[in-house]
Amino acid sequence: MRNLTAALSGALFGTGLLVSGMTDTVKVQGWLDVFGDWDATLAFVMGGAMIPMAIAWRIAARREVSALGTPFPPKNRSGVDPKLVTGSVIFGAGWALAGLCPGPALASAGFGGVNGAIFLIAMLAAMVAAPKASRLLDRMTAPKGSTMDIRALTPTYAVSPQIDPEDLPAIKVAGYTTVIDNRPDGEIPPHLHTPVMEEAAKALGLTFVANPVIGGAMTPENVAIQRAAIEASGGPVFAYCASGNRSSVVWALAHAGLKPADELIGIPARFGYQLEHLRPALEAAKG
Amino acid sequence: MQIDWIYGLLGGLMIGSAAAFYLLVNGRIMGASGIAGELVDGTAGRTWAEKASFLAALVATPAALAWVFGGAQTHLTSNWVVVVIAGALVGLGTRMANGCTSGHGVCGISRLSLRGIVATVFYIMAGGLVMALARHGLGLI
Repeated sequence: MRNLTAALSGALFGTGLLVSGMTDTVKVQGWLDVFGDWDATLAFVMGGAMIPMAIAWRIAARREVSALGTPFPPKNRSGVDPKLVTGSVIFGAGWALAGLCPGPALASAGFGGVNGAIFLIAMLAAMVAAPKASRLLDRMTAPKGSTMDIRALTPTYAVSPQIDPEDLPAIKVAGYTTVIDNRPDGEIPPHLHTPVMEEAAKALGLTFVANPVIGGAMTPENVAIQRAAIEASGGPVFAYCASGNRSSVVWALAHAGLKPADELIGIPARFGYQLEHLRPALEAAKG
Repeated sequence: MQIDWIYGLLGGLMIGSAAAFYLLVNGRIMGASGIAGELVDGTAGRTWAEKASFLAALVATPAALAWVFGGAQTHLTSNWVVVVIAGALVGLGTRMANGCTSGHGVCGISRLSLRGIVATVFYIMAGGLVMALARHGLGLI
């Protein structure tokens, strides 16, 4: 059923793109060509599309779940971050050069010829490479001499495999203000135990929160502590465990109902953390 | 042509209805870059079949209509270097920004989402600037 309704929506979307003229790059480039022969069609397309969608959001606001029982995606409250702006500028540049954005590029696959196919391949390949490029950017902007692997899930929350007390200054330089320790002491040698880390962190003026998560036996309390620590932090939060997996899981559960489940699973997946098994819990939660 | 805006409005209403249907029935945001991106980078997980169905219909329906009625043209530039660069920029940018014209534009703005509005302002501004530079400055496109 879900697949059928998704296909119906895709079919209508494709038809709309074709009818509106958005699969014609001349119209799209004409809209962006303010200094040339300006074409206003795109404004009518966008305006027309927003009418039914605005109504749909109003209906969604009055219901708990969609017709097929999926909770509606909550509004992303993480605000504007550099990646949103940088990504949009990069996208806008490519959009102007060819006159195609992802929807019309796909919708015109059947009649776009060889160059249309080349565009699609380049676009999809870049989509696969995007998380890596994004991480490379993070690493390049990280302080030098650091061997750490800071995996920023969001601009305000990063996870990492086990760190050393000597890594803490670099974490501070990177702008983090709170460090959460999600690894129980029983797993690691004494020089990495919580009291040692806590002392080193506090000496640097970092807020330190111990929230040991036992692998496979996470408690609701773990989630509550993580959430409280994230909310209480004045700046970005850095959480670590053995691999960063547990720190990702508590983050996802702490944001259940506050961010779309697709995002809570999709973002950690880009760093290799598989949270698909949490989907039922993440989708069931209410904000 | 003078009547292009009518087709634009009509097509826009269809696009918006598709997005509205996808939201109210499947409970998801209809964003072309997100759906395609999650399928190719493997993060779609359990929603894979649903997203693949959407994508297949999105490709097949206009293809069939174009074949039956004829006349569909993309007028895409024949300069394949520009095509490759543009495709790569669109793929990279939309995934970094987590959305494109459909997700941030149609779905985001209609919800008065700050992220959607900011993203749309920036990609239109960047698009206009690059267009001015590439067409009127360098004569590239």
